[in-house]
Amino acid sequence: MDTQSVANEVIKSTREKQAFSIIALIRNEYFLYLVSSAAFVLLWHWVAKEQILGKSLATPYDVVKELGRLMTIKLAGKNLFGHAWASTQRILIGFSLAAVVAIPLGLFMALNRTVNAIVKPVFDLFKPMPPIAWISIAILWFGIGEPSKVFIIVIGTFVPCLLNSYNGIRLIEPELYDVIRSLGGNRRHEILQVSFPAAFPAIFAGLQISLSIAWTCVLAAELVSARSGLGWIIVQGMKLTKPELVIGGMLIIALVAWLTTLLVSGLERVLCPWKRHIEGL
Amino acid sequence: MEKQKNVHNKIVCTDIGKTFIQKGTQQVHVLEKISLEVHDNEFLVILGPGQCGKSTLLRIIAGLETPTEGQAFLDGKLITGPGPDRGLVFQSYMLFAWRTVMGNVEMGPKLNGLPKKECREIAKHYIDLVGLQGFEKHYPHQLSGGMKQRVGIARAYANKPQVMLLDEPFGQLDAQTRLFMEKETERIWQTEKRTVVFVTNNIDEALILGDRIATMTGKLPGKMGPVYKVDFERPREPTDMEFLKLRHQITEASELVL
Ligand SMILES: Nc1ncnc2c1ncn2[C@@H]1O[C@H](COP(=O)(O)OP(=O)(O)O)[C@@H](O)[C@H]1O
Ligand SMILES: [Mg+2]
Repeated sequence: MDTQSVANEVIKSTREKQAFSIIALIRNEYFLYLVSSAAFVLLWHWVAKEQILGKSLATPYDVVKELGRLMTIKLAGKNLFGHAWASTQRILIGFSLAAVVAIPLGLFMALNRTVNAIVKPVFDLFKPMPPIAWISIAILWFGIGEPSKVFIIVIGTFVPCLLNSYNGIRLIEPELYDVIRSLGGNRRHEILQVSFPAAFPAIFAGLQISLSIAWTCVLAAELVSARSGLGWIIVQGMKLTKPELVIGGMLIIALVAWLTTLLVSGLERVLCPWKRHIEGL
Repeated sequence: MEKQKNVHNKIVCTDIGKTFIQKGTQQVHVLEKISLEVHDNEFLVILGPGQCGKSTLLRIIAGLETPTEGQAFLDGKLITGPGPDRGLVFQSYMLFAWRTVMGNVEMGPKLNGLPKKECREIAKHYIDLVGLQGFEKHYPHQLSGGMKQRVGIARAYANKPQVMLLDEPFGQLDAQTRLFMEKETERIWQTEKRTVVFVTNNIDEALILGDRIATMTGKLPGKMGPVYKVDFERPREPTDMEFLKLRHQITEASELVL
């Protein structure tokens, strides 16, 4: 009895030891995240400090200090949060306007040949045009205020929103409609019970793509002409030759863009509880 | 005389031919002179190799395709379209991914305008019948292949069809799950008798399940081969003498590669 319990103890302690061994630590992904992030920041610091890429790279510390400063002082009447919100607001307005029109239009095009035949030629003309190409005409039409920026975002996000809702319906397995019909449903049931819900994941994929395009559009518009927004902050940093301001602005853009992505995937989780979610990039 | 014959025959197909016209003018002749009778409450298996037009024949009976020649009748009435009197089960399950097990099974009663409470009760009954109690709130992607097809069967049954049409329902399952599902199908069918047309390319499956086995010949256009009566006792085992004898007889007569 005694030896048995001792033997068990021994086994237990070796197992515990194994859990703390170096190999297990190296294989732990959270540990690897930490090491890789720390290594990146250190490398960045070293490259900036030794001025390996010239004087135009700020150290991580300088960037953080600059961001702290921007939170308290006001540039052109707004602190950092004000500028971040200015860009985000433009995106949310343009993005919503585009989605509200483009998603139903895409659905109708996929479901109805006549609608498709009317809209398709015009859409095909606009589809390959990069949204940035519209900036000059937008400023001519709407001036340098808010409407021209929202317009660019609408143009940029309209195409992926429409294409994805269209394809979402076109790629539905036709046998799913056979199920509805053999259960006694009609065309209305086919659309409500199959077409719309089955297209949901594709619509959300379109929204995610649109969101990253929206950020590209708003930044491009703000770089060309603006008095607020994160793009404008970057331009200020460039004009004043303050790399810490440019890099700080870039980091904030990444952060805010990531938060808006979370917003859309959160919405998707609520609206499509059936979808298997793949974690990762 | 012909009319009287139709009365106890649930389904009658007379000289059905089907030619698909693909994009352009290319024609595919899939079925030729298919005549078939399915008796009331009979378990009829259609056995044939892949690509011989089995699915097309089943879809014609379902009313999802129209034959280019001949006609199909249900209870003596010409089949002109799909309807809730015929329940369909697909090889690739075709579940509504956005609906739970309960949502999938209650779809039929719902589409036919039954009150919500009744839909629930019917669905619950058939979920229990196929052995999925406790999984009502699961989504299809959370289920195994065998469980998915149980949902497919329950969904078709819940509509209380007179005829069940199953198109290679266990074709995607591993051998062990498949055998188990065949036993389950037999149990479900014996609990609530329906006329069943069951399509398969697997001779053992045909022998375990069928009251009769109608064979189809390979190579397009598909034609009807001999029909075999399977009159030995259920449940059947692939090791029974009679099973092996009939199996041998069918393989000898057909060009099935088994
Ligand atoms: N809608 C269709 N259009 C054109 N050809 C079809 C269509 N449906 C089936 N076919 C043709 O009919 C042949 C038989 O198909 P199918 O009935 O699915 O056979 P099985 O179910 O026995 O494998 C296939 O080779 C396919 O090319
Ligand atoms: Mg088939």
